[in-house]
Amino acid sequence: MSRLLLCCLVGHLILTRSPTAMLAQDRSYDQNALRLDGNFGDVSIVRGIDGTVVGRIGVFRGIDVAKVVERSPNAVTEAREFQRNYRPGTIALGLGLISLGASVGASQIHDANRGITTGLSIATIGLITYGGGRLQRAYNALHKSLWWYNRDLK
Amino acid sequence: MKSRILRALLIGALVNGATVGAQAIGHAAPTVAAPGSGTTSVSGGAATPSDSSHSYDAQALRFETHWGSADIIRGADGRVIGTVGWFRDFDVEKLVASSPQAVTEARAFKANNFRGSLIGGLGALTLVVGAVVTANSSNNAASPILIIAGGGAMVWGAQHLNAGYSKLSRAFWWYNRDLTR
Repeated sequence: MSRLLLCCLVGHLILTRSPTAMLAQDRSYDQNALRLDGNFGDVSIVRGIDGTVVGRIGVFRGIDVAKVVERSPNAVTEAREFQRNYRPGTIALGLGLISLGASVGASQIHDANRGITTGLSIATIGLITYGGGRLQRAYNALHKSLWWYNRDLK
Repeated sequence: MKSRILRALLIGALVNGATVGAQAIGHAAPTVAAPGSGTTSVSGGAATPSDSSHSYDAQALRFETHWGSADIIRGADGRVIGTVGWFRDFDVEKLVASSPQAVTEARAFKANNFRGSLIGGLGALTLVVGAVVTANSSNNAASPILIIAGGGAMVWGAQHLNAGYSKLSRAFWWYNRDLTR
């Protein structure tokens, strides 16, 4: 009877310990912690000590950051904040740069209406400021998201 | 016989209790409010002062950018401990001195940040001069050259700043790796 009880206890201990060990290995910092890596306008999310590229940040074919960090609820909240700001920020900044080009071009034309040049300059400043602000908010949220995600690793 | 069963049960309960306790300390799961709210409360008073002073929640670093500069933030409550960026001189190497890999990355950040700030700043100055020349004398051939050269230098500087922030991100990754969780 006591042997049976002992066997049950040992079995219970083994069963409750092994999944924890596997989970810890599966979610270790060295293998799974995320960070951002940027090179010549190309920003990627990389994982682990060997820097495996998880995905690239982009407007049209960008990675779904919320899905990458879905294990951590706080990280998902920040990832959504990133997604909410990234696309409008990039588009506004792009339009601002186009407007800058147009403004420089218009200023070179002799008989160009001064009002057009002024209008383009104001639009350029407005779009770059707005787009830059949204992008900044997006990247700050992304950094925070990865911070929360890494926090929840072993 | 009964006493043996009782003893086995008692030992089993003790071992199980110890295992669960160790797991709870290992997880150190604090009750954290929604991110960005700035409030964090850590539950459980079992952790010693040295544990909490090296914990991820209290010590882990990240940064937030603000128009060319970046605030270095520590811990879950978002304490700003310094600012780096355009000609700002905050000693990141000293901050991450406990991790050798982080120090190497911090050094690379410093070099890239200085180069990016210098070239980007000169580029911005050239661009402004070009714009002023354009505004005052529209028939000046130097103005587009100044604007293009300034814009190019700004882009080049931005690339270096960008590379620098990648190094900073990596430095903090290494530093945070060595903290207890």
